[in-house]
Amino acid sequence: MFNQESPRDPRGNLTPRSPAPLPHAGAAANEATEVKIDIRNLNFYYGQTLALKSVNMKIHDARVTALIGPSGCGKSTLLRTLNRIYQLYPNMRAEGEVILDGENILSSKIDLNRLRSRVGMVFQKPTPFPMSIYDNIAFGIRLYERLPTVDMDERVERALTKSALWGEVKDKLRASGLSLSGGQQQRLCIARAIALNPEVLLLDEPASALDPISTQKIEELIKELREEYTVVIVTHNLQQAARVSDYTALMYLGELVEFADTETIFTRPTKKQTEDYVTGRFG
Amino acid sequence: MAVAEAASNDMKARNNGETERGTGRVGDKVFFGLTFFFAIFVLVILGGIIFSLVQGSAPAFGKFGLGFFTTSTWNPVTQKFGALAPMYGTIVTSIIALLVGIPVSLGIVIVLTELAPEWLRRPISTAVELLAAIPSIIYGMWGLFVFVPFYNNHIQPVLYDLLGSDSGPGVLFGEKSNGGGILPAGLILALMILPFISAVMRDVFETVPPFLRESAFGLGATTWEVVWKIVLPYTRTSVVGAVMLGLGRALGETMAVTFVIGNSNRISASLFASGTTISASIANQLNEADSDIYSSSLIALGLTLFVITFVVLVIAKLMLRQLASKVR
Amino acid sequence: MLSIYRRRRIVNQINMTASVLVTALGIFLLASILITLVHYGISGMNLALFTQMTPAPGESGGLLNAIVGSTILTVFGIAIGAPVGVLAGTFLAEYGKNSRIADATRFINDILLSAPSILIGLFIYEVAVVPTRHFSAWAGALALAVIAIPVVVRTSEDMLQLVPNDLREAATALGAPRWKVIVLVSYRAARAGILTGILLAVARISGETAPLIFTVLSNQFWSININRQMANLPIVIYNYANSPYVDWRQLAWAGALLITAIILAINIIVRMTLGKQTKRT
Repeated sequence: MFNQESPRDPRGNLTPRSPAPLPHAGAAANEATEVKIDIRNLNFYYGQTLALKSVNMKIHDARVTALIGPSGCGKSTLLRTLNRIYQLYPNMRAEGEVILDGENILSSKIDLNRLRSRVGMVFQKPTPFPMSIYDNIAFGIRLYERLPTVDMDERVERALTKSALWGEVKDKLRASGLSLSGGQQQRLCIARAIALNPEVLLLDEPASALDPISTQKIEELIKELREEYTVVIVTHNLQQAARVSDYTALMYLGELVEFADTETIFTRPTKKQTEDYVTGRFG
Repeated sequence: MAVAEAASNDMKARNNGETERGTGRVGDKVFFGLTFFFAIFVLVILGGIIFSLVQGSAPAFGKFGLGFFTTSTWNPVTQKFGALAPMYGTIVTSIIALLVGIPVSLGIVIVLTELAPEWLRRPISTAVELLAAIPSIIYGMWGLFVFVPFYNNHIQPVLYDLLGSDSGPGVLFGEKSNGGGILPAGLILALMILPFISAVMRDVFETVPPFLRESAFGLGATTWEVVWKIVLPYTRTSVVGAVMLGLGRALGETMAVTFVIGNSNRISASLFASGTTISASIANQLNEADSDIYSSSLIALGLTLFVITFVVLVIAKLMLRQLASKVR
Repeated sequence: MLSIYRRRRIVNQINMTASVLVTALGIFLLASILITLVHYGISGMNLALFTQMTPAPGESGGLLNAIVGSTILTVFGIAIGAPVGVLAGTFLAEYGKNSRIADATRFINDILLSAPSILIGLFIYEVAVVPTRHFSAWAGALALAVIAIPVVVRTSEDMLQLVPNDLREAATALGAPRWKVIVLVSYRAARAGILTGILLAVARISGETAPLIFTVLSNQFWSININRQMANLPIVIYNYANSPYVDWRQLAWAGALLITAIILAINIIVRMTLGKQTKRT
């Protein structure tokens, strides 16, 4: 079964890990951290169609890794293998290995629900549940823990604080999640994922449905989140990738074209294809 | 992205609820089993209906055989029963309901889709749908106390004078009756099935691509011509489905019919004459049936009605399949 | 050329006018029904209606036992029919996209939806009345439940289908097992619609008469014994409307007005809350 390495407090609850050494964007290559997720020879099929071809990639702990590439290149597909959300649909399957902390999460022995408590996901379109803001956050927690109200209140507050939403909603926790603006809803979804103290956060184009100001707030949030979580973000916005990520992977037609620290990818890429993409010659 | 769309399309393609490995496994199996059970339950209900009708009518069919459908005798004293008169009444009242109901439904739909100003459409369609919500027994009471007197004074005499005669097709309007009859029952049925036919027809009309109508209008076609020559042919199958749906309803109507049909087991040439329908016969007599053969014959009538209605509704569903896939 | 054009115009005029006329006729007839109900029924709408029992022929009284009986029958009918309908609808919406069982259930459900209610009554008669040799309220409630089920199945499935997939994915991504995704998120999101569907079923079964004729019949007196016949509005109205007694007929109209008012009120409330989402049953 799953090798639970997440630290627990005396009551057995998941606790946040202490922050990793704080890098600034671009300096990450000098302070490489451990490999959190090791993707080996990953092939992904939609029915008979091969959508990901022999992808090999190492996602580093406590860093932000961006997946970029033109539409249909497989970046979202790759992201969605990391929490096996594709398993909801029958015609999709993955082959190869995705090693998270020493365990292959593609194995059929994995407890999927526990996996998803360790690897959280935020989707492109904000999806608040039709409940109060408080219940939105508590929903995930309640799946795993039975907490007295005081503790639950504290967890909810902490999650909302970390996603920079607490100030705006602290007086209306009972209001419906749907009453928030788009940008707030997305931060609510991020808080919802964070509330489970995951180790990895998967963000699938989190700001693409938002206005520029909300986008900026989300980007700032991502930079703060880096301290505590391993973040993998899919984005079609190159500037965004450059702004927030430590590592960048360029995908094209299901293959990994190049993977390196962000500064290298954007200033001294090795492959011509990468250079063409980041300079906008194709997209 | 195309991929996400494919994913969404497959979303519910899990056909056996096999859960992914995970906590909550037991809950998943239990819940799936629960919902599956009740889905099957619906099928069981239908099976139960068929079975009980067959079982209950067996004695009657055993005694009368297929002659049950060709005899119009209905005699509790001699214990001889035949379905001909009720079947005749059911079919004829339903035909009248369709002959009157279809043009009226078409008219309403034309008004709703082509003629009425925007602000009037919601009220009109609400009014039509309210007609569907009114219980059958209310139609019966209105029919008996308001409509039939009006019909006796203004419709029956007119038709009788204009069309009635002793021979030829005029015989349909030959013999008058003031206690209700086939014709008033059919007319009330028309009113009752209106909302069903026009509701589906309206949905169907709205699936016509705008450019089709626009190009017809652009060529100078009149509204009627667009409806008759473009829209109806385009939606032909679904319109027939709508009509069949209405027919299915008309065939099974009970309470409204028993109030105004006169409830006598006879077949007459005249549409004015009283008669009976399958459902009216069952409703009036089942509780009075004093012998097994009597009640079995009534149940045999029920089985007959079931078969006819089932066939009609299946045809309706098949013809409306197209519409369902467009609307979804 | 011109005469063809003129003829086309005339045909169009005739048909358009005819359409407007029949629509007006339909609305007029609706009004006639409602006005008739009010006209004959309003004078019977007094306190006695709700406080006294159905009287003996020629005497005055009320409809208390019938009102109570109908309420009991409807409540029991929905108590059985709604959960069955919601769960079956859940199966169709959440598990049943490519399942043959689901296709068959949908098909049969739609047939049952339009099936003559008298046949439902016959079915329950065979199943519950004949073996026990007497009418009973629970048989009547069963018949009403069978009529309610297809309505609730249809509306539940439709409303659950409207819940966006994103929501289900988001809940799954948090690690919720499938059944919690459905119960805690899908149901929550479709709550209003499902309740409305149940309301529509209530409106539908409140007015049904035929299925009650051979299952629960009625009762001249007060009875809340579910093993026996129980008074109910539709059958009382049916019996009294056709009778020669003025008092009885007055009660029949008052009862008819009462039932219709409630049913129309439910339908209007439903239309207002759901707006465009209302599916026709």
